[in-house]
Amino acid sequence: MASLLLALVFAASLAGFCALSLAMDRHSEDVYGRGSTPGPWRRWLQLGGTVLLCLSLGASLQAAGSSIGWVLWLGALTAAAQATVALLGLAPRRFPWIGLIAAAFAVGGGLVYLLMS
Amino acid sequence: MKEGFRQSMAWLHTWSGLLVGWVLFMVFMAGTASYFRDEITVWMKPELHGLPQARVPTVQSAEATYAYLQQHAADSPRWFITLPTAREPSASLFWTKPPPPKGAPPVDRRNRVGRAMLDPSTGQASAAARETRGGEFFYRLHFDLHYMPALWARWIVGFCAMFMLVAIFSGIVTHKRIFKDFFTFRPKKGQRSWLDAHNVTAVLALPYHAMITYTGLVTLMFMYMPWGPQAAYKDSGGTQAFFAEAFAGSAREQSKAAGRAAPMAPIAPMLAQASAHWDGADVGRIAVNSPNDANAVVTLRRADGPQLSYEQPTMQFNGVTGALIGTFGDATRPAAETRSVLYGLHIGRFGDPLVRALLFLSGLAGCLMVATGLLLWAVKERQKFARTLKQGGRVSVGLRLVDGLNLGAIAGLPVAMASFFWANRLLPLGVADRGEAEITWFFIAWGATAVLGLLRPTLRMWQAQLALGALLFASLPVLNAFTGPAPLTVSLRSGPSAVAGFDLVALALGLGLASAVWIVERKRRTSAARRAAQAAQTPQAPQQVLVASEQGS
Repeated sequence: MASLLLALVFAASLAGFCALSLAMDRHSEDVYGRGSTPGPWRRWLQLGGTVLLCLSLGASLQAAGSSIGWVLWLGALTAAAQATVALLGLAPRRFPWIGLIAAAFAVGGGLVYLLMS
Repeated sequence: MKEGFRQSMAWLHTWSGLLVGWVLFMVFMAGTASYFRDEITVWMKPELHGLPQARVPTVQSAEATYAYLQQHAADSPRWFITLPTAREPSASLFWTKPPPPKGAPPVDRRNRVGRAMLDPSTGQASAAARETRGGEFFYRLHFDLHYMPALWARWIVGFCAMFMLVAIFSGIVTHKRIFKDFFTFRPKKGQRSWLDAHNVTAVLALPYHAMITYTGLVTLMFMYMPWGPQAAYKDSGGTQAFFAEAFAGSAREQSKAAGRAAPMAPIAPMLAQASAHWDGADVGRIAVNSPNDANAVVTLRRADGPQLSYEQPTMQFNGVTGALIGTFGDATRPAAETRSVLYGLHIGRFGDPLVRALLFLSGLAGCLMVATGLLLWAVKERQKFARTLKQGGRVSVGLRLVDGLNLGAIAGLPVAMASFFWANRLLPLGVADRGEAEITWFFIAWGATAVLGLLRPTLRMWQAQLALGALLFASLPVLNAFTGPAPLTVSLRSGPSAVAGFDLVALALGLGLASAVWIVERKRRTSAARRAAQAAQTPQAPQQVLVASEQGS
């Protein structure tokens, strides 16, 4: 259970940052080519990204307690944001898929955790 | 004020960062390594890698240390025992030696204390372990520096940390597009890329950078700003009284030895009582004042646990009767607790390995932030000399100095750190004062890279030093395989996990440095191509242009 929660912390923060970056014009262009914008998706990407980051905070507080949980969350955010920057540079084609898989894992893992506890 | 607020902050950011950047880079590197100081120490004592990994119960290891000290230091005025933890499998003992009789020649300070590492399962000193400062060296280096009085060093480091704090906050003001550029890194674009790298490493770990700098100042706040307690406790016992009241947990019974010998009470019941009082938490340290004396006092300190705060409560017992004298630090006042949490955040001893790995990662981002900031200054400054350079002139003395210092600090420090580890394994075991000899090699390597960097701050030199660092780090696992009993093939399967972790991190750092070599190579090729094009235009280009435009990055 503990390792599921920890995996959840990282998956949710990575997916959250992927969504937030895709909501920006510049990174939308990085991934989908020149001139593309997120259009009507922008609001949903921003909302989804925020929800995923909150999910990551919840999992982190659950995993490490209410004091060290905050340290863990901020550390995971830093690592996930660095990973997002690296992925945008190195694998822009696969970027949305990686984000989607991470999001699916985060949501699925969250449900599994809720059902099992 | 003629300039805008943002411009003046940009000026402040540039100069506060540049002036102390080289010291800060070293402090960040050594401090980041200190998150794993126990693991580094374990790696540097290969004789202990083969020991059984099973944890010995606290009572058994405490009794073993007691027996050892009775045998080897029965007449000592003070014993300090650090019990084994999951991270450090041996018990570490430290005792003061009795003062020499009056009239005898004074004893060297280093010989006035005794140290030993104990294998708790056998109760024997792990005498086989080589003498080394281990990770403790980096920990001390990052605030005590070396080759100078610790007090001066702490003032220097504190001064630099204050500048760092100024640089962080002025940097936030200067960087106007924090959220717009949050994920932005545009490689292969010269100055733009350096700025992006500086922003990304700074912004993505910003909570960490602000926290670590501020809490770093907090750890030594009573040294930097002693006036509050001095004034408030002027008439009631001075700062000693203040410390005793604020940090009750670390209060030490200053009992005088009676001069009468008395047998010591057994330690096991005290450990049981303390552990029960702390809801089952283990005892981490034992201090015994005047052992084997009628006035003996035993102080037990709770082990580091899953709390942010650093101060731990203590319990004191009469060393002869075993009766409880008192409990201290169970309920800390808010101010003391706040400081304790800030202190604990800085040294990060609370977490499991994962949290400390994340802190390590953020620390590395901090190193990169300082390094890219220093390089950015040089890149910007060089543009002012673009025309002079084209006409065969030279860059200013200041820029040349910064180039050299950048090289010696950024590329030289990894070489020095790796040399320290290599010296640990390659120096003959019989060398006198071996721990200090390893440190000497650290500074020899660093000195050599710094001198070479100052003499020839060229891209070639960057490449050579980064490549050397990469080679030395990446081959540490190989060195370990040949000079220790636990190469990666063994340590990955059956531990010790600290050794496996060290080898893997060293490998990763080596690969990171190697990719830096590759980046410099690309840069060197493009500037060589540009030079060739230039040379075709002006066939009599003086040799100096070639040398000069090869500098910097």
